[in-house]
Amino acid sequence: MIRVESLTAGYGKLEILQGLSLAFAEGQFSAVLGPNGSGKSTLMKAIMGVNTIFGGSIQLKGRELVGLRTEDISKMGIAYVPQRENIFSEMTVLENLQLGVRSLPRERRQEALDELLALFPILGRRQAQRAGLLSGGEHQMLAIAIAWLSRPSIMLLDEPSAGLAPAVAGDVFRVLQDLRRQDITLVVVEQNARRILQYCDYAFVLREGQLAFEGSAKACLNDEETIKGYLGVHEGAALAGRDPTRP
Amino acid sequence: MPTALLVTSVVNTIQIGSLYALMALGITLTFSVIRLPNFAHAEYVTVGAFAALIVSLSGEVNPFVIMTAAFVVGAVVALVSHLAVFKPLEGRNVSLYTLILSSFAVGLILRYILFMMADYFNLFDTRIRIPLQIIYREGPLILTNVFAWVAPTSIVLVLLLTTLLNGTPLGREMRALANSPSLARVIGIPVERVKNYTWVLVGGLAGVAGALWGLQTAVSPLMGWVAILSVFAAAILGGLSSFSGTILGAYVVAFSENTVMLFLNFNFGVDLAYKPAIPFFIIIVVLLIRPQGFTELFNRGRDLQR
Repeated sequence: MIRVESLTAGYGKLEILQGLSLAFAEGQFSAVLGPNGSGKSTLMKAIMGVNTIFGGSIQLKGRELVGLRTEDISKMGIAYVPQRENIFSEMTVLENLQLGVRSLPRERRQEALDELLALFPILGRRQAQRAGLLSGGEHQMLAIAIAWLSRPSIMLLDEPSAGLAPAVAGDVFRVLQDLRRQDITLVVVEQNARRILQYCDYAFVLREGQLAFEGSAKACLNDEETIKGYLGVHEGAALAGRDPTRP
Repeated sequence: MPTALLVTSVVNTIQIGSLYALMALGITLTFSVIRLPNFAHAEYVTVGAFAALIVSLSGEVNPFVIMTAAFVVGAVVALVSHLAVFKPLEGRNVSLYTLILSSFAVGLILRYILFMMADYFNLFDTRIRIPLQIIYREGPLILTNVFAWVAPTSIVLVLLLTTLLNGTPLGREMRALANSPSLARVIGIPVERVKNYTWVLVGGLAGVAGALWGLQTAVSPLMGWVAILSVFAAAILGGLSSFSGTILGAYVVAFSENTVMLFLNFNFGVDLAYKPAIPFFIIIVVLLIRPQGFTELFNRGRDLQR
């Protein structure tokens, strides 16, 4: 579905990804794991065309994405949920959702909104509220909802469970599983390897801007020692659910 | 203070305050959506006034035609200053200070082009040719046809602008861009197009404000520049982000400059020459005591950003 070939990308003059090659398969729920600074978020941003790409190629079903404008990449059916600033906090919940359906043909918008409110009833009850006042879990649901409303074929999510209580994070992952049943390809960046591996099909481990390991989620879970080695010094803590480098 | 004086000053407050609101909303909009405190905004007002003047000197007396011309010319000048100066600078990731200074430069260039033009065509201190008439008189209350044009037109335009921002897809996209440019980009909002529309709207409304300003006073290349401090004071009272706050701020500034000034003059002998100091005073006091202005008073998910 998305094929990344010897991609070198970063911010300004800083190269973070160094010749990364990997492919996300259609219909799969993939996790991208790795220690801080390994280039997980950089990969998501490079796909969306919001950072600097120094070389290499990113193809969606054979079409080159490198060099396209972000708005055109989003039109091709890729939705991205950033880790921070992923909702319009000063606007109402309803307005956030309306912005989500803006790319759909006019006659399909109401239908998409109705379907969404059936999927996330809590957002319906909060429609008139300022989005910035939502709880952590509701906030993440809204962020996922905005992305889902554009009816993407692939969704990229950058640490959707960051800062959430374990039970709430579980809710978020269950929603993601529901989305996969609608044939949406999912790529999720995670710090907490053990948690995401219970939900996803496939995992990629990045280290220092390169692919260190890839395999099925089962293989990863059964071989904890392997990923411990690949994920580096913080992995013990990350497997326990907490990353000591983040507050 | 005699009642007649009070009534006249309140009428002035409404007239001037409505104009300030029209201009200050443009400043707030540029600051929020484009992230630029644009000092060249003053000159979009002046350019609009001159466009109105030239159209009226050609014999046109229909105020709608005059204001439409002012809107178009103001919009074009604002869009061109964006495409020629601000957009290329943003593309180079310059600091906010560079952008502010460049907006001063754009303003200066426009102002002196207008000076040259006014000199060449002999347009100094000319009025837009709509004869002044008294249309209503009741005791001390005197309303002119200029008031009947300026106040309702400004108020209607302010209401239209707020409706556009809160009730239309374009307005929603503009507020989304103000709230989070990065998210606006990744959900596929055509950011550059929305910015262009913003400039057209901002420049056009400034142009109309200039035309209305020209109805009540002589047109001069300095008129926008003279008003800009009061207008910025209004926008700062609105926290540079809140629409309702900016509108309230505009009337507060106009009230201070008219009614409060007259009150000080009448009761304490303060010279009217101190009037231009009032917006300075308001800006300093607001920034020292309440830098967020009136923002918090109105924040109901309808404003541009916190």
